[in-house]
Amino acid sequence: MAELFASPSLLVDLIINGLLIGGLYAIIAIGLNLQYGMLRILNIAHGEFLMIGAFLTYTLKVATGASPLWFVPASAVAMFVLGLLLHATVFRRLSAISATLDIMEERSLIVGFGLMFILQNAAVVIWGTDLHGYDFMTNSLQFGGVVFTANRLLVLVLAILISVGLILLLRLTLLGRAIRAMVQAPLGATLVGINTNTLHPLCFAVGLGLAGVAGSLLSMIYVVTPNMGTPYLITALIVITLGGLGSLTGSLIGGVLLGLVETFGVYFTDPSLKILLSYAVFVLVLVFRPRGLFAR
Amino acid sequence: MPETLLQLSGLTVRFGGIAALSGVTFTAGPSEFVGIIGPNGAGKTTLFNVMSGMVAPTDGAFRIAGVDLAGKRAHVFNRMGIARTFQTARVFRNLTVRENVQFGLRFPWRRGGRATDVQAETDDLLARLGLIDEAQIAADSLPPTRQRLLEIAMALATNPRLLLLDEVAAGLTQSEAEAMASLIQSIRRERNISVIWIEHNVVTLMRTVERVMVLHHGEVLADGSPREVAQDQSVIDAYLGETAE
Amino acid sequence: MRPAPTWILIVLLVACLAILPWITSVFVLSLALSIAMYAGLALSWAMFSGATGYVALSSSAFFGLGAYTCAILLGSWPWPVVVVCGGLIATLLALLLGLCVLHLRGTYFAILTFGISELLKNLIIYVEKSEFGTVGRLMIGAPPDNVIYWTVLALAVLAAAIYWLVARSDFGAALRAIGSDEDRAATLGLNVRNAKVVGFCLSAFVPGAIGAAVSVRWTYIDPHIVFNPFIVFQAILIATIGGPTRLGGPILGAVVFGVLEETLRLNFEHYYLMLLGVLLILSVLYIPNGLASITLPHRLRRAKGVERSRA
Repeated sequence: MAELFASPSLLVDLIINGLLIGGLYAIIAIGLNLQYGMLRILNIAHGEFLMIGAFLTYTLKVATGASPLWFVPASAVAMFVLGLLLHATVFRRLSAISATLDIMEERSLIVGFGLMFILQNAAVVIWGTDLHGYDFMTNSLQFGGVVFTANRLLVLVLAILISVGLILLLRLTLLGRAIRAMVQAPLGATLVGINTNTLHPLCFAVGLGLAGVAGSLLSMIYVVTPNMGTPYLITALIVITLGGLGSLTGSLIGGVLLGLVETFGVYFTDPSLKILLSYAVFVLVLVFRPRGLFAR
Repeated sequence: MPETLLQLSGLTVRFGGIAALSGVTFTAGPSEFVGIIGPNGAGKTTLFNVMSGMVAPTDGAFRIAGVDLAGKRAHVFNRMGIARTFQTARVFRNLTVRENVQFGLRFPWRRGGRATDVQAETDDLLARLGLIDEAQIAADSLPPTRQRLLEIAMALATNPRLLLLDEVAAGLTQSEAEAMASLIQSIRRERNISVIWIEHNVVTLMRTVERVMVLHHGEVLADGSPREVAQDQSVIDAYLGETAE
Repeated sequence: MRPAPTWILIVLLVACLAILPWITSVFVLSLALSIAMYAGLALSWAMFSGATGYVALSSSAFFGLGAYTCAILLGSWPWPVVVVCGGLIATLLALLLGLCVLHLRGTYFAILTFGISELLKNLIIYVEKSEFGTVGRLMIGAPPDNVIYWTVLALAVLAAAIYWLVARSDFGAALRAIGSDEDRAATLGLNVRNAKVVGFCLSAFVPGAIGAAVSVRWTYIDPHIVFNPFIVFQAILIATIGGPTRLGGPILGAVVFGVLEETLRLNFEHYYLMLLGVLLILSVLYIPNGLASITLPHRLRRAKGVERSRA
C-alpha cells in the first residue's frame, strides 16, 4: 500500500485506468438501463453488440487506414440500426405473445441467450478466433513526472464526455425527459400520453448503439476477440444495480465507482479475481442496498 | 370482553414522500364483520397489502392474536390465518378452477397434521361458491366476476381466521351484489371467521356489515356502526355525500 | 388411463438402451450417450426453470464442478461414489447460490447464475496457478466405456424420474404456482423462497453427476473445457424447443439435437451453433410450448401429472 503513495505515477495510473474502465462501464450500463428500465427486456446479448462494435471499428480502421475515431459514430449508427431491426422482428412479437410481463422477461432472456450464440459464432466465422488489434496513439505522454499512453487518455476523456453528454441530453431535451420519465415510471408515463410505439424501439436501439460506442472505444486500447463482450454484460448489470434501476445518472456514477474499485482491487489481489470482486460488490449491494446506492 | 384477533397500532406506510397510510389504529375480534369504505387513493388496498404481508409498514405494529407480524414474509401471514382476495382477481391462470382451489389445501403439513380429504374439501368449496360446473376449465377462461368467487374459494381453502375481501362486488348489478353479500355473510357464520370487506358499493356494504371503518388520505376518519358512520358529518363531507344513495 | 402398458414400455425401452453396448457400433453408442447426456441436462433444467419461469443459466457451473470433483476423486474412490459426489457438490453450490439470489427477480437470477460459471472458472484457474503452478488435470483411472455409458443412461433415467415425480406432486404444483403468480402463492401460504431453493438444488444434482461421469471421456480437463457455456445453452435449447413443461419434450429435443450434432457440428461447428441460436429464437417466438405440444401424441402429452404450459 505504501508504494502507492511513494510512486505517484502508479497511483495516477491506477486512477486513470479506473476512470477509464469506469467511464466505459457507464456507457454500457446506461445503454442496458435504457433497455431494461424502459422495456423490461434484459438483453443478455448486450456484450455481443459491444464486441461487434469493436470488430467493426477494427475492420474499418485496418481497411481504410483512417483514424478509428471516425468509426465510433459509424459503430453507433450500425448498432442503432441493428437495434431497430431486432426490436421490430423479435422483441415486438415477444411482447405481443406474452400474457404477462414476467413471461415476456423470461422469454427475452432465452432469446437473448440465443442471440449471444448467434453473434459470437458469426464473429468467429467472419474474423476467426485469433486475437485482433491495431495500434492507435500508442505514444507515451508525460505530465509532471507521470507517464501514460495517449490512447488511454483519449478514451478516458471520450468515455467521460460521452456519458456525461448523454445524461445532459436526457435531462435537457424534451425527448430526453420523456425517456427518463418512462424509465423511472413506465406506467405513469404512458398515462401522460408518451408514445411507447416509437419510444420503445428508439430506446432499444439507442441502448445497442451505446454498446457499439463502448466497443469501438475499447478496440483502441484492448485486444478484440469474439468473446470479449460477455464479462461486460455482467458488469453492466452490477452497475445498474449499484446505481439503481431506472436511474441513468446512477449508472454513470456507479460505473465510475465500480471501475475504480475494480482497478484498485485487482492491483492488490490478482486479475483472475476481478470477477470475484465484482460479484462480491454485487452481492453486497443486493443484500444491503437493493434499490441502489443512491436510493432515497 | 371478546379476545382480540386483530390489532393495528399506528400503522404507517410511506412510499417515497407520500404517506399511503398514516397512524392507522384499529382492533377487531374473532368473529367481526367489518366494512372499509373511502374514496379512491384512501389507502384501502395498501392496508390490505400490509395485512397480508405484501408490503412492510414503515412504522407501527400489526398483530394477529397477539403476534406482531410486521416485516414478516407473506406466507407467514397466511399461516397465521389471514387470507385475501385482490381487486383484480389474481388466480393461477394456467391451472384449472379445481386446481386453483386445491392449492390452499395441498399443504397439510402446515395445518399441524390436520387430516384432510383434499378432493372432498375442494368439491365442498367449489359447490359452496357455485363453481362446481366450471371445475375443469382453465381459470383464466372464467369471466372476471366469477374469478372473484374463485379467489374467495382459494382463500377459504387455506382455512383462515380472517378473510380480507377487496371489492368483490365491483361491477355487479345491485341484486348480484346483494347475493354476494349474503353469500359472504353465510360463509362467515358457517366458519365463524372475521371478515373485512373493502367495497365501493356502499349501500350493500352498510346493510350487511356490523361495523364500518372509513379511510381517507391514509387515515381513519371514522369507525363505528353503519348507522353512526352514515350520520358522521366528516364522513358525509369527505365521501358519502359524493356517492349516489 | 392404462398405466400398466406404459410402465412396461418404459422398462423395455430402458432395457433396450442398456444392451446397446453389445449390439451396436461405437458410433451409435457415442450418439446414444450424447442423447442421454443432453436429455439428463435438459430434463433437470426444465424441472425447475420450466415450471417456475426462473431461467437458470447455471448448468455449466454444475457440470464443471462435477467434472472437477471427478478429476480430484477419480482413482481414489469407487466410481459410483465419484459420480454421486459430483452431483452432491453441484447441489451444494446450488444451495449457496440459491440462498443468495433466489429472492431476486428472474432477470437478476439469470445473470447471476450465468456469471457463476465464469466465476468458478476464474477461481479454479487462480487456485490451480497458485497451488500447482499449472492449470488443468489429468484424468487417470477412468472406467471402461460401457460403464460410462450405463452411468449416463442411469442419470438420464433418474432425471426423467425426478421430473415426473415432481410434476405430479404437491411440490410440483408449488413450483408451477410460483411460475404463475409467485406473490399470490405466498399469500396462500407457500414459503416461496424455500420451494425455489429446494427446486433449484434438485435441478443441480444430475448435471453435476453427469459432469463427473462424462469428464472421464477426456484424458485431460481444464476449466475452459468443463465450464463451457455451450453446455447450458444446449440444455436450454433442447428443453425449450422440445417443450419444457412436458416430460416428453426434453427427451424429444435431446434425440433431435443429439442426432443433428453428431452429423453437423463436427464439420460446420460455428455455422451449426448459429443455426441453433436461430432455432432457439424462432422456437420461443413461434412455438412457445415447444415441439412436444404439436408432435407428441395426446396421451404422452398429458401424461400423468404433467402440467399444461405456462400461459
